[in-house]
Amino acid sequence: MNEIRPLSANERIKENSRLLRGTIAEGLMIPETGAIADDDQQLTKFHGIYLQDDRDLRAERGRQKLEKAFIYMTRVRIPSGIVSPAQWLAADKMARERGNGTLRLTTRQTIQFHGIIKSNLKPLIQGMWHAMMDTIAACGDVNRNVCASVVPWLPDGHAAVTKLASDIATHMLPKSRAWYEIWADEPPAPDAGAEKETIYGGTYLPRKFKIAVALPPYNDVDVFAQDLSFVAIERDGTIVGYDVIAGGGMGMTHGEPETYPRAGSVLGFCAPEHAVEVAEKVITMQRDHGDRSNRKQARLKYTIDRMGLDAFIAGVNERLSVKLQEAKGFKFAGTGDRLGWARDSAGLNHVTLYIESGRIGGRQLDGLRAIASLGVGRFIITANQNLALSGIPDADKPRFEALLAEYGLDKTAGGLRRNAVACVALPTCGLSLAESERYLPSLVTRLEEELAAAGLAEQDITIRMTGCPNGCARPYMAEIGLVGRSPGHYNLYLGAAHDGTRLSKLFARDVDDDAIVAKLRPVFAAYATDRTGGESFGDFVIRAGFVARTIEGRDFHENLSPDLRG
Amino acid sequence: MAQPVLLPGSAPFGADQISALNTVFSVATVEQRAWLSGFLAGVQAANAPATAAPAAPPKARVPLTILFGTESGNAEALAAAARKAAAKLGFAVKVVDMASTTPAEMAAVPNLLLIASTWGEGDPPQRAVDFHEALMADTAPRFEKTKFAVLALGDRAYAQYCEVGRRMDERLAALGGTRIADRIDCDLDYETPAKGWIDAALERIARESTETVMAVEDTSVIHVDFARSQAETWTRANPFAAEITDHVRVTGSRSISDTRHIELSIEGAGIAYEPGDALGIVPRNDPALVDAVLAAAGLAGNETLRTALRDQYDITTLTAKQIADHAALANTSAPPADWAFGRQVLDLLEAAPVKLSPEQLTGLLRPLPPRYYSIASSRAAVGEEAHLLVAGVRYRTHGRDRSGVASIDLNERRATGETVPVFLRANPHFRLPSDPSRPIIMIGPGTGVAPFRGFMQEREATGAKGKNWLVFGHRTFMHDFLYQLEWQDWIKSGLLSRIDVAFSRDQPEKRYVQHALLDAADRLKGWVAEGAAIYVCGDAAAMARDVHDALIQILGKDTLDQTRRDGRYLRDVY
Repeated sequence: MNEIRPLSANERIKENSRLLRGTIAEGLMIPETGAIADDDQQLTKFHGIYLQDDRDLRAERGRQKLEKAFIYMTRVRIPSGIVSPAQWLAADKMARERGNGTLRLTTRQTIQFHGIIKSNLKPLIQGMWHAMMDTIAACGDVNRNVCASVVPWLPDGHAAVTKLASDIATHMLPKSRAWYEIWADEPPAPDAGAEKETIYGGTYLPRKFKIAVALPPYNDVDVFAQDLSFVAIERDGTIVGYDVIAGGGMGMTHGEPETYPRAGSVLGFCAPEHAVEVAEKVITMQRDHGDRSNRKQARLKYTIDRMGLDAFIAGVNERLSVKLQEAKGFKFAGTGDRLGWARDSAGLNHVTLYIESGRIGGRQLDGLRAIASLGVGRFIITANQNLALSGIPDADKPRFEALLAEYGLDKTAGGLRRNAVACVALPTCGLSLAESERYLPSLVTRLEEELAAAGLAEQDITIRMTGCPNGCARPYMAEIGLVGRSPGHYNLYLGAAHDGTRLSKLFARDVDDDAIVAKLRPVFAAYATDRTGGESFGDFVIRAGFVARTIEGRDFHENLSPDLRG
Repeated sequence: MAQPVLLPGSAPFGADQISALNTVFSVATVEQRAWLSGFLAGVQAANAPATAAPAAPPKARVPLTILFGTESGNAEALAAAARKAAAKLGFAVKVVDMASTTPAEMAAVPNLLLIASTWGEGDPPQRAVDFHEALMADTAPRFEKTKFAVLALGDRAYAQYCEVGRRMDERLAALGGTRIADRIDCDLDYETPAKGWIDAALERIARESTETVMAVEDTSVIHVDFARSQAETWTRANPFAAEITDHVRVTGSRSISDTRHIELSIEGAGIAYEPGDALGIVPRNDPALVDAVLAAAGLAGNETLRTALRDQYDITTLTAKQIADHAALANTSAPPADWAFGRQVLDLLEAAPVKLSPEQLTGLLRPLPPRYYSIASSRAAVGEEAHLLVAGVRYRTHGRDRSGVASIDLNERRATGETVPVFLRANPHFRLPSDPSRPIIMIGPGTGVAPFRGFMQEREATGAKGKNWLVFGHRTFMHDFLYQLEWQDWIKSGLLSRIDVAFSRDQPEKRYVQHALLDAADRLKGWVAEGAAIYVCGDAAAMARDVHDALIQILGKDTLDQTRRDGRYLRDVY
């Protein structure tokens, strides 16, 4: 690319922001509006904050002489999804006092608060900060929350992957003090706005950047959907290093085939002590080579496809002190969570709870507050929007069981529902074209009836829904993927691998509730009768010819059935 | 027609007299009976025989000072009416506002007719605070030269009914004044009894006055009279039918408050309101409540009565007097007076069921008073329209859902295209500064913000250069920020210099407008030092008091008192 193209508007905003300060602090003080300035809306993302509005209310507001129902979403930075009971209590309190009374567990193992009005934004963030949590870089063109497999019943492995996640998260934090000044009342230093962003530089990355660390056979963090992943390689019970995967990513735009989801490519292998350096160098490659003109082509996946994988690996190796070795190889079992109780070798207990769509409110919130008040163990948010309670001594287990039962937190779910993930979508997300979190549960109920009729009620099948094609719930990595097109209508994708190693393919376009069920009914029936032993649903639909296999991101839009072309 | 209110056989009259009186009562209207009761009270006060002849004009012009203390304007209007009556009788009348005089000045007048209203829980009107304080002080002057009579206005629904009138009456006597007529305490339906009492009191003063005054001031009125020449034709008895041209909810669907912005056409009515004025609304009672009252009185199905109760009678309050009257009718013992709190006539009728005649029922009821809403517009901006901001009142007491008479009538039973009977009630004490460059601070939580929308429209339309500062509060920012987009536009245009807000339910700690004021204390001091006028509109019970305390805290009592005396601290609270 030799042509000079203009930088995207966001690049100018970053450049002129005095390292992410903008006029955010001033905007918070303006009493007559719940919004903040346009440029600041881009900058607050770097502070973990999105300005949204309650879309359920859009139609009525103008008539009422009221501005849009502006609300903020705030996402906490929680590497590996681990919080203490005291931190959980702080989050609970903030949700009740400053948010909409719910906590939303996310696919990046964090907590989101929704429905925060402007005057409550700073008190909420301070409430979290007092519990030693921050929201730095939870959104924005930086390294986002770092995920790690939730495998607390394997204490050594879990300790290793979470340590790496924390080390990367800390290493990749922006150096700007803007967050501390705006939200934690830190007095500005004399050089405020001129801090040295030693890794990112003053305009940070071209686009968001997502990192995960996995401990096979668990692919709960969906390593092929991340910009960068580290897959632990164990030899004789010891982690000897990590296979490195880069260039995964879900987002695309309807009707723009030059945008596509991409499964990550294996770059090689690194020793544990080099993993943080590898993360930094992959990020700086993206910093220097990513597209800063077109944000729809700015993710690392496009950078790699543009450069070519070999050239990209070579570029990374040039920056590394120790070059990547040949990948060792690994095998995953699935992307879901291991629900229920487990006991580790040290005698501690762990229980993973199914949380529908990650949304915790009402009685479930009360129950988790009661459990957190015990002060025992840790809370771990999973990348499937579920919640693990970890590190429970035998003596405390009966109390946990009693509280889980009392508050309805021990409910189990069938093979489809327990593998279901939905993004937030309406009414808060500004991008959503259709419902997701509020709709998927009822669709799953209908599909469960179909599966039960086919004798597949307990079959693990991953289903994921998003309200738009940007892919927060990683729908193109699900065996059944549904992506919103317009209110009530979805594109239906099939054929992704159950273990998260292969993307799906479009199976039906613009289908509504009835049509989704009608389209899937014969597929379920065929799967019930024609599957081979142990064959996953995602593999079956390809073998049975319902969809073609997607080889890589660039053929995601290719090889569609004839009625879907054009 | 069934049996009207009649004298009981135990009345202290002979049988013929009772019969004769009953002949009169049986055909007397409610108004005639009320007049008679007021007249007799006045005559009784003057120790005159019940058969006193009509008053003869005084031989010489007798000086008379009519002193009023007003909050809502009722006492002032009554003073004006008394002035007319007194002038007809040949008095040399002077009408004086307590806001602009002192006890020392009043102690010098020979004849004093005092009309005092009581506000809230036994408080004097804000504009009469200084006078009241000085009169009650140890340093108050003696009133030995003064003959006086006190007419007290109040609302029986409050425990401290007519308290201020009572206190002033006692105080004037204690200070050596001669009570020329016993005090009358008037409820919301004051007009007729007040007129009867005034007539009797004037007659008594005329007869007792021996002074002749050589050089008399003619019937002059000290304060500026209302400019209501045309609009005076529209009254509560003769309201203008204003068409509703717009009727929109201005609180979000998730607000617990259903507040409507209602635009009324007053085209051709000649209602020349000023920003700050109020519009009187003649409401209708909830038909369902009317039916329940009729059923409870054993009068279901009486269509004539149904209409009368809907349009003419107050069926949503309860006074100790009504409880006593009903106990007499039902031949039961009356519940304690505080039983009335939070209850209405229906509760009373259902508590001790007794079949009533239509006259017994209507005899028990007070007339339906009009309701007043601050006008939320300026004619300079909207022409021949008047905009109202109406918060629907719904609450639950004693196991029953209650609804505000006028607010629910306007908000839920009237729609665009229908008409509402209205009349103007001027509010001359709550007007924009005559100096357009004077800064103003407007404190108006809830629907108290209504007149300030009128102020802003007026100042925008007239190009007034003074700075404007709004302090608004409500329950939630998102759903209750009344006229939010309009304030935003005025901030963008520079008309509104500053806005501070306080929303009580948005955070764990309650935040109200007084907290916003305290947060901005230094700036407020600066504005007041620059000559800013402070306006407060809204709830009298809690808000106005809390704001007053905050202003004292910020400015100091002396400065605030001086500001009020300068006419720069104005309140329209209810």
